Amino acid sequence: MSHRDLSFKRVDEKLWGGEIRLELLDPASDSIRQPAGNILRSPEIGCHCAESKDSLARYRGLLEAAPDAMVVVNQAGEIVLLNIQAEKGFGYHRNELLGQKVTNIIPEGFAERLIADGLRPAADALAQQMGSGIELTGRRKDGSDFPIEIMLSPLESAEGILVTAAIRDITVRKAAAKHLVQMESRYRGLLEAAPDAMVVVNEAGEIVLLNGQAEKQFEYRRDELLGQRVKNIIPKGFAERLIADGLRSAADAIAQQMGTGIELTGRRKDGSEFPIEIMLSPLESTEGILVTAVIRDISVRKKAEVHLLRKLEELKRSNEELGLFANIASHDLQEPLRMVAGFTQLLSKRYKGKLDSDADEFIAFAVDGANRMQRLIQDLLTYSRVGTKGRDLIDTSSEEAFQQAITNLRPSIEESKALVTHDPLPAVLADEMQLIQLFQNLVGNAIKYQRPGVPRIHVSAARNDGEKWVFSVQDNGLGIESKYFDRIFGMFQRLHKREEFDGTGIGLAICKKIVERHGSSISVDSQLGEGSIFRFALAESQRK
Amino acid sequence: MSLNVLLVEDSPGDVRLTVEAFHEANNRIHLHVASDGVEAMAFLRREGTYVRSPRPDIILLDLNLPRMDGREVLGCIKADDDLKTIPTVILTTSEAEADIVKSYQLQANCYLSKPVQLDAFESIVKSINDFWLTKVKLPQRVCA
Repeated sequence: MSHRDLSFKRVDEKLWGGEIRLELLDPASDSIRQPAGNILRSPEIGCHCAESKDSLARYRGLLEAAPDAMVVVNQAGEIVLLNIQAEKGFGYHRNELLGQKVTNIIPEGFAERLIADGLRPAADALAQQMGSGIELTGRRKDGSDFPIEIMLSPLESAEGILVTAAIRDITVRKAAAKHLVQMESRYRGLLEAAPDAMVVVNEAGEIVLLNGQAEKQFEYRRDELLGQRVKNIIPKGFAERLIADGLRSAADAIAQQMGTGIELTGRRKDGSEFPIEIMLSPLESTEGILVTAVIRDISVRKKAEVHLLRKLEELKRSNEELGLFANIASHDLQEPLRMVAGFTQLLSKRYKGKLDSDADEFIAFAVDGANRMQRLIQDLLTYSRVGTKGRDLIDTSSEEAFQQAITNLRPSIEESKALVTHDPLPAVLADEMQLIQLFQNLVGNAIKYQRPGVPRIHVSAARNDGEKWVFSVQDNGLGIESKYFDRIFGMFQRLHKREEFDGTGIGLAICKKIVERHGSSISVDSQLGEGSIFRFALAESQRK
Repeated sequence: MSLNVLLVEDSPGDVRLTVEAFHEANNRIHLHVASDGVEAMAFLRREGTYVRSPRPDIILLDLNLPRMDGREVLGCIKADDDLKTIPTVILTTSEAEADIVKSYQLQANCYLSKPVQLDAFESIVKSINDFWLTKVKLPQRVCA
């Protein structure tokens, strides 16, 4: 742009024609704002060049309107033109900068140095830096520095090529970039330290970051995975497919899978597959939204699950078999038993006294044997039913269960004139039928194994330090020798002769099984000749 | 006037015990025995060798029989217009609830469990005699 044949307007509105020649600055001029350089009066030109007038105005207008600081520098490295943003940015008044060496505000790096040095023509220097945003440092009037980015462009003038510099304050941008770099390096640190494999995937589905655990799990070297599609290690199900397909935005895909552990399959370098659980979270970066995936190898867990399931199946089957066995015992064993029992009894009835006394005795033994066999089978069935016919443990009133047991025992209580007392009993988690049976067996035993005198039985419950109630059934009966404390809970274990006390010896074994089914254990404390206390615990019912 | 009782039971021992018990209770009872479901139906329908068999006044039916089992027999009897009026008493070892319910659903007249003890068994048989063969009004016999 040439600056000849311009019109200038004086303060008094008088116009005069002239041209601008941009040379060495001579600040000693009018105090009024003037373009730098010599202004040669050309009276003969006058003010008829409307076009030129407009060009200048337009250029100045552009400069002023620019959002960035703009400075025009001559071949001597001096500032010949600047805009208000430059004034503001560097904290100078226009006059203070005009004519100044641009090195005052941009100490290092400006092309002018190259120009000024005369080491290369402006054209070359410019060619090198043309259009590229170069990061330099700007210096304010107060001496403080700030990071800038400058973009240079040539400006033709009478004195040759001038350089227009657009100067952008990049303080904020640099701080943000630094912050981001810090965050990224911290993030990288976290990634490496993570116990699980971690992989960061971009919107194209490519792995942009991974940690050592990922290398180990998938058996790849880091460089082999970077840039790879995450599909290669997680063939199906990764959100990236959704992102990559463009079917939904990363945000949506992530929102769907966020925080949930999804079970997928991971593929190692050698092609072998293993079960994994992944959790996704978004990561903002300079490259857009990335997806961070935590990948956990769940082979061990899955194996344990399979194992557990199998054990459960076995247990269920075993339980069913037991139930089946018990049923068979009851059905199929009973029939021949009835034959033996029935006919020996018939024999006894029809021929008692008609044969010799030996025959009578033999028959009696046979009958007795059959009867006991029958009771044993019944008890065995009852015992097995504790497990197979047991119901869920629910909120139960132990008070009511106890009362029911007492009702069932009424005949023996009355016959033995026993005194049965109890403290208030709590609400517990139990199978009601079995709880009744438990009380019935224990109280029944207490009545049965009595000493001469009035049998006294007391049932109470006390809280232990957990959430359980410890029940006590105390009697003043025969008592038990400590060496038998464990044995009495065995199946069909008896401590007395059949003539002394009736029974198959299954009662306490049934009690033990019931208590164990309720998650506790039964114990006894006793003094021979004084009495016994049987204790067991039940969980407190949550519903109060 | 003697009463006819059809006992459907496969165990010879049980048959003998029942015979003895009925003897005790009422010696004017004529006890007929079928040892499985097929024989029982043939007897009731007077087929084959049973052409001259009398119509029983009550039927005592065990559930666990070979070939055609008691539940099937019960179903057949109660589905047959001619036979369904004969009171059918289930007398079996099973105490299973499922069996009890099923039997009543098939319209058994009542269900009794066979006790193991002889005296209890004799008492049951006596009860059957007292109730079904003495107190209860039975439907008129259809002319043969």
